Amino acid sequence: MKAADSLLASLRRELFASRSDGVISVGLLVLIGAAVAGLLRWAFGQAQWVVIQANTTLFALGRYPLEQQWRIWLLVALLAMATGLSWGLLRANPRADRSGVLWPGNDRIAVAVLAFLAAWGPAALGLALPLQLRWWAITALLLILRWASGRWGRRLPAGLLRWVPLIWPLLYLLGMVLISGGLGLIQVPPSEWGGLLLTVLMASFAILASFPIGVLMALGRRSELPLLRWGSVLYIEFIRGAPLITLLFLGQNILGFLLPGGLAPDRVWRAAWVLTFFCGAYVAEAVRAGLASVPGGQQEAARSLGLSVPQALQHVVLPQALRIALPATVGQFISLLQDTTLLSLIGLLELLGTARTVMANPEFLGKNAEVYLTLAVLFWCCCAALGLGSRALERRLDPSNTPA
Amino acid sequence: MTASQLMIEARGVEKWYPNGFHALRGVDLSVSKGEVVVIMGPSGSGKSTFIRTFNALEEFQAGSISVDGIALSNDLRNIDAIRCETGMVFQQFNLFPHLTVLQNLCLAPVLVRKRRRAEVERQAMALLERVGIAEQAAKYPGQLSGGQQQRVAIARSLCMEPRILLFDEPTSALDPEMVGEVLEVMKALAADGMTMVVVTHEMGFAREVAHRVVLMSEGRIVEEAPPEIFFTNPQHERSRQFLAQIL
Repeated sequence: MKAADSLLASLRRELFASRSDGVISVGLLVLIGAAVAGLLRWAFGQAQWVVIQANTTLFALGRYPLEQQWRIWLLVALLAMATGLSWGLLRANPRADRSGVLWPGNDRIAVAVLAFLAAWGPAALGLALPLQLRWWAITALLLILRWASGRWGRRLPAGLLRWVPLIWPLLYLLGMVLISGGLGLIQVPPSEWGGLLLTVLMASFAILASFPIGVLMALGRRSELPLLRWGSVLYIEFIRGAPLITLLFLGQNILGFLLPGGLAPDRVWRAAWVLTFFCGAYVAEAVRAGLASVPGGQQEAARSLGLSVPQALQHVVLPQALRIALPATVGQFISLLQDTTLLSLIGLLELLGTARTVMANPEFLGKNAEVYLTLAVLFWCCCAALGLGSRALERRLDPSNTPA
Repeated sequence: MTASQLMIEARGVEKWYPNGFHALRGVDLSVSKGEVVVIMGPSGSGKSTFIRTFNALEEFQAGSISVDGIALSNDLRNIDAIRCETGMVFQQFNLFPHLTVLQNLCLAPVLVRKRRRAEVERQAMALLERVGIAEQAAKYPGQLSGGQQQRVAIARSLCMEPRILLFDEPTSALDPEMVGEVLEVMKALAADGMTMVVVTHEMGFAREVAHRVVLMSEGRIVEEAPPEIFFTNPQHERSRQFLAQIL
């Protein structure tokens, strides 16, 4: 095996180039090995995962009514189907195959770890059998749809393909109905949402709503109209100058004063809007950097062809600016997802809040390590998925990434 | 020369940059239909600024310009109308890097002229054929050489069916071996009777194609003559100095 040989050779060159290198390498390897061995011994020997097994539902959904849980399962299944469909169609569409490589570099490791966790995690945690079966069924649904649409997606008429992205906003609206009720479903107020459900809901709402806010603010900051420019600068600099936790407390208290009783959104939505406006300010700065990197000649060329300012923006400047702003923007979204843990400090039972209630239960006293490790892995999975998606999108949008 | 034949008429154009620099100091120029006017001059003489006032990429503070009978004013409808009738080719090509060559050509006719995409694509392919790069239609600008990119830029301007073409140093950013292919396309356009105003340092092009050569210096036109006179017997001392430097 030539590849293995070269890997061995390069490892030898990197780790054992000289005698002192060798000593340092061996020392570090022993340290790392001891740490990993200790972790594994603890995870498979001492750790008592019953704290997770007993509270699976709590971690996943909080106090969401048991008899209504089918709605969440249905939503997850629909999400898996939409993901499989979009993913497969993207791969079937020739544009996506520009680079040819599906997951280059370190992404392959992340994909492998994610797939491994998805397949083995539920069994390792000893979840109830029906839960495990449902989980695997949904995963299978995703993979089958991805495979099938990748195989047959190319034969669909192009006019139809253009409407496929529309399933996402529709699904989001449907998801909100499924979660909160209405249209004949029993109402489940936000105070009963919790755990991973609340975390994902808060993060996805703030991500989707903060993006247009950020783009508008970035454009406003570059506007020639003084009122618009100063308004945007004021907003961006005020938000970026205050810690999120302060803004969260402020939002909980101030919205009640500002709006008459009935109009003020409830605690959960107040927090969601604060997260949205917080993230929007940072997205605005990322987009502004993207706008600044598009040469002025692009705007001039568009205008001299007769395009109006909005047309030039929509078809020429923004597509280029947003592609450049994409990595920084997704980085912002990833930290937003992690910042949702701050919601536990204002009394919302998202993942960390739920974890704290579980650890306060006398039955599970002292099981902090198990709980925190599970939380860390869950967050890593969500962030890794976001990062993978963004890098795939980056490659897809990169015009230099086309086979000649 | 009747008024209907006048494509560009500039009278006493004055321009100050915001930093106070007086870039254009009362410039007059008339270009009639089918004429090819080459503007030359040392850098900083205001020639690029001048040509960019014709499609309102630069504002001017005094004087008047009318293009194809439409007066340039602050009225946005007039500016949009003029921009539809005047194509511009830039030194840095300014192709849209996120669109394919064909999409670069079709964007403006579909958005601005509201024409049907299929019809525009047919015309775009014919234009690419004419500038000799039809086989690159599906590629992105970044995959083409400089000369090819500039020919795409010319085709992109032509796709709007302009009545005037403005060239702002179209060959200055090109490697020497690619200058010829771009000049060939421009010569063919001139032979077809296109009205063209060209800012360039290409002596050969000016000699062969221009009906008139204009020399600008320090924001003024110092000499305006047919090429055979301009290059052999210039009337002004400033022109003789300029020609001595570049010949």
